[in-house]
Amino acid sequence: MASYSLDPHSQLLDEKSAAHLLRRATFGSDIETTKAFAGLSATDAFANLTLQREIPKPPVDPKTSAPWTNPPLQNKAGNENSENDKLFNFFVAWHLDNMRTDGAHLRERMTWFLHSHIPVSIDVVNSNEAIYYQNALYRKYALGNLKLLFKKICIDNAMLRYLDGHTNSRDEPNENFAREMFELYSIGKGPQIAEGNYTNFTEDDIKAATRVLTGFILDKNFENIDQETGIPTGVLKTAFNGGVEIATRHDAGEKIFSAAFGGKVIKPLETSAGFATKEAAMQELDELIEMIFEQKETARFICRKLYRFYVYHEINPDVEHDIIEPLADVFYNNNYEFIPVLSKLLTSKHFFDADNAETADNNIGALIKSPIEIIMGSLRFFNVAFPDKETQLMQFYEDAYSNIIFKEIRQQGMNLYEPFEVAGYPAYHQLPGFNRNWITATNLAYRYQFSDILMNRRGNDNPGILLNILEWVENSGHIENPGDPAEIVTVLTRYLYPIEIVQERSDYFLHTLFLEGLAPATWTSEWNAYKNSDDNTVVKLKLEVLLSAIIQTPEYQLF
Amino acid sequence: MDRRKFIRNVSYAGASGMLLSGLPLRSWAMPAALNAAINTSGNDKVLVFIQLHGGNDALNTLIPLDQYNEYYNYRPNIAIPADGSRKYINLDTTLSVENQVGLHPDIIDFKKMYEQGQAAIVQNVGYADMNLSHFRGRDIMFMGGDASDNFASGWMGRFLNEEYPGYPDAYPSAAMPDPVAIEIGNAMSLAFHRNNGIPIGFNVQSPQAFYDLITNVGVDPPIKFPDSHAGDELRYLMEFEKKSNQYAGRLKEVYEQGTNSSVVYPTTYPLNAPASSLNNPLSGQLKLIARLLAGGAKTRVFLCRIGGFDTHGDQVEAYDSTLGKHAALMYHLFSATKAFHDDLNQLGLGEKVLSLTFTEFGRRVYSNASYGTDHGTATPVFLFGNGLVPGVHGSNPDLSDLRGGNLKYAIDYRQIYTSIVNDWFQASSEGLNAAGFNDWMDSRIPLFGNSVGINTGKLNEAISVFPNPASDQIHVQFFSNKQIFINKICIADIRGSTLKVKEILHPVHSFERVSINIQDLPEGNYLILIISGEGSPATHKFVVRR
Repeated sequence: MASYSLDPHSQLLDEKSAAHLLRRATFGSDIETTKAFAGLSATDAFANLTLQREIPKPPVDPKTSAPWTNPPLQNKAGNENSENDKLFNFFVAWHLDNMRTDGAHLRERMTWFLHSHIPVSIDVVNSNEAIYYQNALYRKYALGNLKLLFKKICIDNAMLRYLDGHTNSRDEPNENFAREMFELYSIGKGPQIAEGNYTNFTEDDIKAATRVLTGFILDKNFENIDQETGIPTGVLKTAFNGGVEIATRHDAGEKIFSAAFGGKVIKPLETSAGFATKEAAMQELDELIEMIFEQKETARFICRKLYRFYVYHEINPDVEHDIIEPLADVFYNNNYEFIPVLSKLLTSKHFFDADNAETADNNIGALIKSPIEIIMGSLRFFNVAFPDKETQLMQFYEDAYSNIIFKEIRQQGMNLYEPFEVAGYPAYHQLPGFNRNWITATNLAYRYQFSDILMNRRGNDNPGILLNILEWVENSGHIENPGDPAEIVTVLTRYLYPIEIVQERSDYFLHTLFLEGLAPATWTSEWNAYKNSDDNTVVKLKLEVLLSAIIQTPEYQLF
Repeated sequence: MDRRKFIRNVSYAGASGMLLSGLPLRSWAMPAALNAAINTSGNDKVLVFIQLHGGNDALNTLIPLDQYNEYYNYRPNIAIPADGSRKYINLDTTLSVENQVGLHPDIIDFKKMYEQGQAAIVQNVGYADMNLSHFRGRDIMFMGGDASDNFASGWMGRFLNEEYPGYPDAYPSAAMPDPVAIEIGNAMSLAFHRNNGIPIGFNVQSPQAFYDLITNVGVDPPIKFPDSHAGDELRYLMEFEKKSNQYAGRLKEVYEQGTNSSVVYPTTYPLNAPASSLNNPLSGQLKLIARLLAGGAKTRVFLCRIGGFDTHGDQVEAYDSTLGKHAALMYHLFSATKAFHDDLNQLGLGEKVLSLTFTEFGRRVYSNASYGTDHGTATPVFLFGNGLVPGVHGSNPDLSDLRGGNLKYAIDYRQIYTSIVNDWFQASSEGLNAAGFNDWMDSRIPLFGNSVGINTGKLNEAISVFPNPASDQIHVQFFSNKQIFINKICIADIRGSTLKVKEILHPVHSFERVSINIQDLPEGNYLILIISGEGSPATHKFVVRR
């Protein structure tokens, strides 16, 4: 019987463990960073991944050379700005670029986790500012407190639009957000034990929560800035009744929850003329979230999501008992702060496959990359040069992101910011396969084909991004002797793959593909010939073929 | 991909399609037994499953005319009007009063199919404790389970796995050179998952592009897989890669061999709706399916999907409840399915294909302030094809008997699917068992009853005789758009000697079922004769087996 343990990983990280941690906690690492993390303790490594740092500056509109979202200077695009859909593309490029450039840090990864957990769709929201502000909210709380984030996300403009919260009123309630809030984003469904009863919540709870959430509207000019976050938020519709600010669309009645929530009753503490006061209505929202998060199952539900995001897609009963349960305790007992629970998980024996001697249940290399890991991981590994964001803004947006990266993401099967379902991208929630959902015949082929895009093997005149593999082999410092073909193959496969390959596989890359059956000395002489002349044709081609082969494999799909 | 060609493949400008050879078959040795297990399944009938993602608002699709006032009062801001130029279309005035339905004014194509006997409706479909979650609701019906079940496989996956043993290693085979099931688009729904291994469904979007893509990527696969979770994922990936390699060329060939007929598929909703609703998302998918079938594809099940049905708000235009998002979707759905079946008929494939709609639930009877509806429960199922017993099965929902504002279901969805598996696909008992539908055999809806026409020359008169084989009872189900005057029903042996007679002393209404006890009949072949006052008797053979 397997046993798993969240006990702290006591050994110093070797290269393999360091690489594993960086692959999971960031969007990919280069060799230098992996080596820098090797030799650290897991705790020190985690500390490095969570150092305090500034938030990135907001995206810039090339048309005005200035941001268009950054209260208090400017909250929303004006006539002088580009069109809404162009601005949206600039935002998405900016979000992706944060992932590319944030180095060895957890924050972008957690921001992405939050977006994958609580998604949004531009089709529905139709406001690039609203989506930017939601993303900023996620970034703010990425290494902060989930419960606080939740209170904000309920009335976030993008969310109010996405799940119809802004039309939810005392006279005509709309259950869309309340339902998905319970089922997808917080406590999750349990087994259906009776009609309308999903153990963790009931249909009546949905109706009651809907009523608590009544009365909010969109702030389309993004003028209402939340005092705690500094980010624009949706607002309660209010009016003044004899000097008292009342929530005119908010249901002021009693909301009674089911036994799943201990029969909790939520009602406004103060009313005026039959309406809840503004404070009282806000207080009800606060109580609703506290009620949901007071249930340990909420902690478990989120921890299962985190586990699937950071460790492995399957949670068997032993893992549920040995890992999820104590992890949920840590999360719950720390009032839903992310740092303690992430620390516990990412410095544990379990995370590093050190909790038992069995290898069949090892999780290193067992996650399937999303298109973002394929693309960003490759770019980060090779430190591929990009047009300068300050001085070459249009090339940055158009040549690099719009023409290449957006297209690749789509072809590889991700509808970024346009998930088909309100549960988000299937890989993060869809039973039974979770991340296996990234793989269809077509997606897999496009993921393989990314090697062509990366190295511009299709002869585009103006590629926005370009990896010159010859240049990397020659100058990165990671190949001590480029004349030694075995070293090139060893270094590339060791650091690009998350698992060791057997000798026959390594021989296939070296002897069959790279050397084409010839002796290693033939490469050495080609290399020397290149060094003594200006003609890189042969060596460049052979290195491209080698790297293509390494990328066009199932091994490269894993992390 | 041939490794030598891979190396020499410098530029793609002149790349010809390289056929794939690189897979070392020695690593994937097919046991002889599997080779022999070539599919010899019951028939080659095809099913096209059209998923309406989001939960279709049935009440605005089929308006219960006998309760029009109640319907209107529940949802005045979105109700389809009873008069004016945009009033509902009466589907069938010959239906009895409690079954009269009105159609959304934009789905005249459905009425045309119905009048040609090519469409059927099953009313009030759902299941006990119907789940109002998109994902759970959809998965339950893909699973073929109850509200509390948790299968990792779909009923189609399990059924096809039984009918096509040895998947994936034994395929492609001479008898089944094509993907067994195809899911159009990029999603990997539970529908085609089996209990073990990769799903038996294969994603297809564009055969030509797919072929070009597949033939230019990939190297030899890893030979050994580590004993770890990573190894499991590698195996999974390799199965996909292998299937891609195997099917790419074949799909291209089939696609190129096939053509559509001159039937024009609809592209745009002609009236007012939000811009993102105007293009027909279904036409392209159905057109591709027709073409693949015309090209000789032996695929048995196709799954296509359109979304946008989750109309919590803005289901209709505020100024005209017959226009807007839902109207466009209705128009797209029914005009595309009509074009599809017309195309199939022109291509000579009309008898082969059955299509049906699937949606995870219906919507709330009363509307909300946003001109929309929240999640609901029971919903009708629409079926299309020449092999159907046409008509309306079941009666209108009862708007006075709601539960939590939602309609009660009357027919379990498995009563339909069992009929498909047993009567359309003529599954073996193992196939039926694998699907998980044994318990639903007796109550399955007679959608494909071996139709026996009564010689009165009228449309829509059909009789269905089931089950066949029968063991205890034989049922005669009438679907008539008027009363039929039947004198008696007789059972005779194959020599024509009458063994049983059942007198019918009243005019038979539509949907009436007459049952005859045959427990005393020994196993063997029999005839059933339905004798009316007009014309010669209708006869049908059936088998008694226990």
